[in-house]
Amino acid sequence: MYPKWLWPVFAIPGVVWLLLLFLVPFYAVIGVAFGGVDPIFQSPVPAWNPLQWNFDSALNTLQGFLPGREYWQVFLRTTEYVAISLVSCLLIGYPVAYYISRHAKRTKGILLVLLILPFWVSYLMRMLAWVNLFSPDGYVDKFLIWSGIAPQPPDWLNGNPVSVILGLIYGYIPYLILPLLSALDRIDKSLLEAARDLGASPSRAFFHVTLPLSKTGILGASVIIALPMYGDYYTPNIISGSPRTSMLGNQIDIFFHGGPQPSVGAALTLFLSVFLGVLMIYYMVTIAKAQKEIPS
Amino acid sequence: MVTRANGDVELQELVKAYGPVRAVDNINLHIPAGEFFSLLGSSGCGKTTTLRMIAGFEKPTHGKILLDGVDMTETPPHKRHVNTVFQSYALFPHLHVFDNVAFGLRRAKVEESEVKRRVAEALELVQLTGFEKRKPVQMSGGQQQRVALARALVLKPAVLLLDEPLGALDAKLRKQLQIELKTLQEQVGITFIYVTHDQEEALTMSDRIAVMSHGKVEQVAPPQQMYEEPATVFVADFLGVSNLMPAEARGDDGRGRCRVKLDSFDLLAGRGNSSASGATKVTIRPERVRLEAHGSTGENRIPAMVERWVYLGNSVQLIVRLATGQVIQVLIQNSGDEIPFVQGTPVQAYFPAEALRVLIDTDAGAPPAKEPTAKGAAA
Amino acid sequence: MTAIAVGPGPAQRSALARARAWIANPWGRARFLVIISWAYAISSILPVIIAIQFSFNSGRSVSAWQGFSLTRWYWGDPTNSVWHDPTLQSALFQSLKLAGLDMAIATPLGVMLALGLARWRGYGSGASNFLMLFPLVTPEIVMGVSLYLVFLYLFTFIHPSTAAQVLGHVTFSLSYVVVIIRGRLFSIGRQYEEAAADLGATPWETLRLVLLPLLMPAIFSSLMIVFAISIDDFVISQWLSCGGACDTIPIRIYSATRGAPLPSVNALAAIMVYFTLAALVSAYFLFRYLTRGERPAAGHGGATSMVGDMGAF
Repeated sequence: MYPKWLWPVFAIPGVVWLLLLFLVPFYAVIGVAFGGVDPIFQSPVPAWNPLQWNFDSALNTLQGFLPGREYWQVFLRTTEYVAISLVSCLLIGYPVAYYISRHAKRTKGILLVLLILPFWVSYLMRMLAWVNLFSPDGYVDKFLIWSGIAPQPPDWLNGNPVSVILGLIYGYIPYLILPLLSALDRIDKSLLEAARDLGASPSRAFFHVTLPLSKTGILGASVIIALPMYGDYYTPNIISGSPRTSMLGNQIDIFFHGGPQPSVGAALTLFLSVFLGVLMIYYMVTIAKAQKEIPS
Repeated sequence: MVTRANGDVELQELVKAYGPVRAVDNINLHIPAGEFFSLLGSSGCGKTTTLRMIAGFEKPTHGKILLDGVDMTETPPHKRHVNTVFQSYALFPHLHVFDNVAFGLRRAKVEESEVKRRVAEALELVQLTGFEKRKPVQMSGGQQQRVALARALVLKPAVLLLDEPLGALDAKLRKQLQIELKTLQEQVGITFIYVTHDQEEALTMSDRIAVMSHGKVEQVAPPQQMYEEPATVFVADFLGVSNLMPAEARGDDGRGRCRVKLDSFDLLAGRGNSSASGATKVTIRPERVRLEAHGSTGENRIPAMVERWVYLGNSVQLIVRLATGQVIQVLIQNSGDEIPFVQGTPVQAYFPAEALRVLIDTDAGAPPAKEPTAKGAAA
Repeated sequence: MTAIAVGPGPAQRSALARARAWIANPWGRARFLVIISWAYAISSILPVIIAIQFSFNSGRSVSAWQGFSLTRWYWGDPTNSVWHDPTLQSALFQSLKLAGLDMAIATPLGVMLALGLARWRGYGSGASNFLMLFPLVTPEIVMGVSLYLVFLYLFTFIHPSTAAQVLGHVTFSLSYVVVIIRGRLFSIGRQYEEAAADLGATPWETLRLVLLPLLMPAIFSSLMIVFAISIDDFVISQWLSCGGACDTIPIRIYSATRGAPLPSVNALAAIMVYFTLAALVSAYFLFRYLTRGERPAAGHGGATSMVGDMGAF
């Protein structure tokens, strides 16, 4: 019907673009990470030829991730923040997604719109709003004092890990709920009705039917927010601004903008990419296995 | 009736293979101009793939497609003088009825005033005058189907291909449209190639039917012949109820009938290959079986018991178990008289020889055989 | 035990009876879900509303309400309002400029890429598909760093500038466009194009007269999504920024927040929200207008199918 060459030709501009501006830049990171350093200017000299790659400085940097060494703390902390935030996001986000997908009928439209709204408000603006609220003279402290819960509210905005975690949760949860909602929507409602029909109480039906069926959805949504969260550096900066709460992304940021050591920064970026790449592969393998379980 | 001089379709050794699987396996058909020809079979038998190859949406792996003697196998679909009515109608949702029907004419650069005239003509043909400004989504299934028909017919193709066009409609509408389609075809005189899985539909409308199974053509015949004289077990079973019974053929009885042994009963089959021998199957249509009082004598009589009695309105269906253990269906037209065979009555089942047929078991697509396949001694 | 309505409840019951049943089962799962969902929805939007509220603050505080002033921070204050502060203005225009260019480049490129990837069956199609999906799962900082380095050491003819920012924006927007368009392509199916060819349309006419019009709703969804993610982008814009003139609204907010921010920053952010809302609303009505041929009766089809297009991934 269409000439054979048509579709590849359509695809070529986009593919070339992605090759040049996505794949090649990634190679630039490798080139800088494994390159040398100009002795006079202390600026990196990237090595483009794989044969000229120098792994020494990169390995040196990476050794900083070993327990006790300089990046171990940051890595641990980042993992901690991401884990806690992720679990909290799921604990809040799953019921919401569940509710919207399963219960609200007339209000489904309104809730959906409310759900979509955070996407359309810039992440930075939401962080700005958050910071304003938690300022010493902001509404949160005013409420805590007025209600007597905490007559001397803690300093939220100065190196406070709780604020950072709360900020991460607030910031990322919309990105979790939408894919989760879409996955829950796809669960065949008649399966649930069948379970109820066979005598399962609502909670049994949930734990034995809905929850297992939503496993892939949960995994997918978790990956969608955990991966970017790992590289987040602006959230801790805005909310806390203190090295006490710095995450891996902050480290990378410092090495490029603080006291520039681009090769170290590049090595760190490489580490981050590989680490996240491993998580991605784990996720894809799990999905592939799950696909095989579904009778076609 | 307007007879057209063109519209002759020929399929030569047509094959469509997807890897090792042959969806269409060596089909040879000749469809003369002006015929209403049906491709009948269950899903997966290759009928739709064949149709799509004639339309040009699939490229044959092997073989040729000829239209009026001209090889159009390599011609792209937009250049073939063949039009399709799709199962889902495929009416362009963003255009209203007029633009839908006019689409092909405008592609052919027909002058706008002529376009108007022909569209009006086509809409009148399908009784949809006045619907020009409607959008497809605002119309019922039956109306959409007619627009699809008009859209194809307005181009005056040599051949019209129809891919289960009535599938999405309810039974009553379907029956009505079957008659309308047949009338239309006779009126317009175009060759219709019609794909369906509904054997009743094929029997009602076609001049000739090709029954397909597993990519092959089992039999090509006019409806009556197809029903009365099925060539293979598959065809017999596909069209209506066949009451297939495994039997042993024992050759000609000297008077053109085949001797068959059903269990311990000797019968004479007047249809099919009279000199067949070996393991085979016999078939008789439910409406041809006669039930008589228990103990009646004569050829082709087997003692039986009425197991179940099903009232169908215009007829009564009796599930009868023969003394051989076989269960057959018997159909008795409701003529107003009382039918004396109630559940549990012992009867005598009479298979008139001229209605009993010996069959070739082609194995492919046949219902699970209870014994090895038997090929008749001579075709 | 009175069963709480999980699923379709008896709507015929009187309001009083329903309320009584609702209260009578305080541990019922349904009630817990209702509360959590509405609490989430409100708590998600409330901070933003409060931030917008403070853009109308009469005083200089961004956390303590000092009275209502409609225009002070938008155009009233002679030095610090959005209208008068050149840094804020330039941020606004830069954000809009980047978003506009991103939409103009990424959408056509993405549509072609989507069509090509969806229909191409041959060597390289699998790898290309994989390549296209990669940006969706790459952390922004990785993309920021890699683009920064590639412009510094390899494609040195491109300096950190608006041009670099546009290139970066398009790169991460492409995949979103492709996913949306492909979703729509999948639901359209091949039937309309086959019908068009059957009726005599050349491949080119089929694309132009049938496929493209049918893709319009998805193309619009793509434009909206690209606008949103471009306006919202912080990381890539920051890493490829040339300094003051290239600063976008998110960058301005970021640098202001740690300092002593004025409500004018709130006003700037609020303007962005107004813009986005306006774009959303007009997109919604435009979408409904474009797909009016596909809905038998006016209903909620518009919102859910547009969201459906976006939720394609």
